[in-house]
Amino acid sequence: MTSFVETQALRKHFAGVKAVDGVDLSIQEGELLVILGPSGCGKTTLMRMIAGLEIPTEGEILIAGEQVTKLPPRARHIAMVFQSYALYPHMTVYRNIAFPLKAQGGLAKGEIDEKVRHAAGVLGIEPLLDRKPRQLSGGERQRVALARAMVKEPSVLLLDEPLSNLDAKLRASARDELQRFQHRLGITTIFVTHDQVEAMGLGDRIAVMYAGKVRQVGTPDEIYSKSADTFVATFLGSPGMNLIEGPEYTVGFRPEHLHPRDSARFEDDASSYVITVDRVENLGADTLVYGSVDEGTNVVAKIPSTSTFFASAGDKREFVVNTEYLRYFDKETGRTTTPGAP
Amino acid sequence: MSTETAQPSRFRSLADNERALGALMLAPAVILILALVGLPLVLSIAFSLSDVTVGDTSLDYVGLENFRNVTRTPQFRRAVIDSILFTTAALLIIIVLANILAVVFTQDFRGKWLARILVILPWATPISLGTLGWLWLLDSKFSPIDWVLVQIGLLGPDTLLGPGLHLNYLGREYLAMGSVVLVHVWRLVPLSAVILLAGLTSIDQELIDQAQVDGASGLRTYLQIKLPLITPILAIASLFAFILIFTDLVVVFVLTRGGPIYYTQVLSMWSYNKGIEGGALAEGAAIALFFAPVLFVAAILILRSVRRIEVT
Repeated sequence: MTSFVETQALRKHFAGVKAVDGVDLSIQEGELLVILGPSGCGKTTLMRMIAGLEIPTEGEILIAGEQVTKLPPRARHIAMVFQSYALYPHMTVYRNIAFPLKAQGGLAKGEIDEKVRHAAGVLGIEPLLDRKPRQLSGGERQRVALARAMVKEPSVLLLDEPLSNLDAKLRASARDELQRFQHRLGITTIFVTHDQVEAMGLGDRIAVMYAGKVRQVGTPDEIYSKSADTFVATFLGSPGMNLIEGPEYTVGFRPEHLHPRDSARFEDDASSYVITVDRVENLGADTLVYGSVDEGTNVVAKIPSTSTFFASAGDKREFVVNTEYLRYFDKETGRTTTPGAP
Repeated sequence: MSTETAQPSRFRSLADNERALGALMLAPAVILILALVGLPLVLSIAFSLSDVTVGDTSLDYVGLENFRNVTRTPQFRRAVIDSILFTTAALLIIIVLANILAVVFTQDFRGKWLARILVILPWATPISLGTLGWLWLLDSKFSPIDWVLVQIGLLGPDTLLGPGLHLNYLGREYLAMGSVVLVHVWRLVPLSAVILLAGLTSIDQELIDQAQVDGASGLRTYLQIKLPLITPILAIASLFAFILIFTDLVVVFVLTRGGPIYYTQVLSMWSYNKGIEGGALAEGAAIALFFAPVLFVAAILILRSVRRIEVT
């Protein structure tokens, strides 16, 4: 596998603020990479630099092996869908989709028409071609934006939180649709989001960003179960990983691995914690038990509602975690580590 | 304390009554408009249908006699043509220049604030003073423009613009007409540019980014995205400029007084010459009333563009 989009030591500073602070990423051809991070982590700036809308302060960007760092967007053969979809409000859907082709030039009217109708067909929006954007629903707008993005057959597709304007129900189906669409076209895609559910469900790989830096790149499973540092560990999962300060390491375990002793099948070498229950929250499928260990560190346990566990505030209960689910982090750097390793 | 809450003051109850409060707050504007616009309009209609002059101020009804009289004169044709010609020419130039300026000012460059101040100055200057400045610039003997033209070899013996050392801008038919247009352009470009600038900066940046990503050049982005999006605002800027030029008296009054002969005598100038200078109040009023239908249409168009801005 060759890397198709590459950033090398990419930096962007805005008046002293390091929005993107040395990012090395390499995205394979045909891959869907999700850039995940909280708002303000620099993920959108990173994408805008790849698109050519921002000039990096330092570093290089390569697309298909070619230096594009200083090229304008139109020389990069990319397409982008913005959070707002940015449909041209004064143009019909047809003209919106045709716009990139006309801007590119060199195509006859008939060819443009053919491509526009093909793209509209793929996304099932042919009946909407004569409408104006304001006459469309959120889901329809998203399809139009996608059709406009794919119509010129870009080599890289950039998506900036394209699902965040949809309501929760539509979002799930749009995500599913987007993933199938991407696999069918096999187009290299970078997807920016702050929503971990979206990231986990969508990405071939996920790059987790925080404070301008990429903290970890890996498959959804890797970043969830082998989080590279305490930030990734606590950012992913809902709720995030429990962290307890030990004498040598920071010890972490996920809420769903913390079981009440009396209901759990556990091995002999499981770690045991006595937890003072604070609050019990029934979420339907799961029950969240909030409490504290040693009167200080807050922890959460996620127990399937099928279990018979019952506790109320103030109760002291013993919980256990199987050793295989314990994660160790360096107390100073927060990086993952193995006990006993030098 | 308790009595205060139990019995709200009269002022307080008025402040809570939206109908009364609304009427009260609108009243000054309504009175002002009735006194300064309504009354003169009624008066000029009354004048135009009468035989009133400065010497005989009694109003005797003569029907449309005044309108028939003024439309029969050669000055009428010329005044209508001049008014339309000056307005159209100035407006076209203003729209082009204001667009260019507005685009320039959306860019970042060194000394932008200074450039902005310099551009807005003509608008901030009283029209009469600014036009006086132009009167000197265009003077038949002392025009510095002539001097510059002579120095760079465009004016004088054996040059492109002729053997004389003076072009006499305000004394020759087409140059005088051009000068009037020039001054209108000079004083109204800033206003239009500022209105357009406001329109351009209100465009969602994501749309412009999108156009860039879609591969559009700067020119295409401007012509196909920005310009259509600011059309309602452009319409308002144009209509304002239209009204200000079409009804203007000051520029012609200071620059040419309608001359040479009556070649720059626009409707307003002619109305003034006839009604005030000539004392024929009735005919002057009749001439001025030719503005009414045009301004009525312009006002409707402005209100419609404002609604379009609100809709989009």
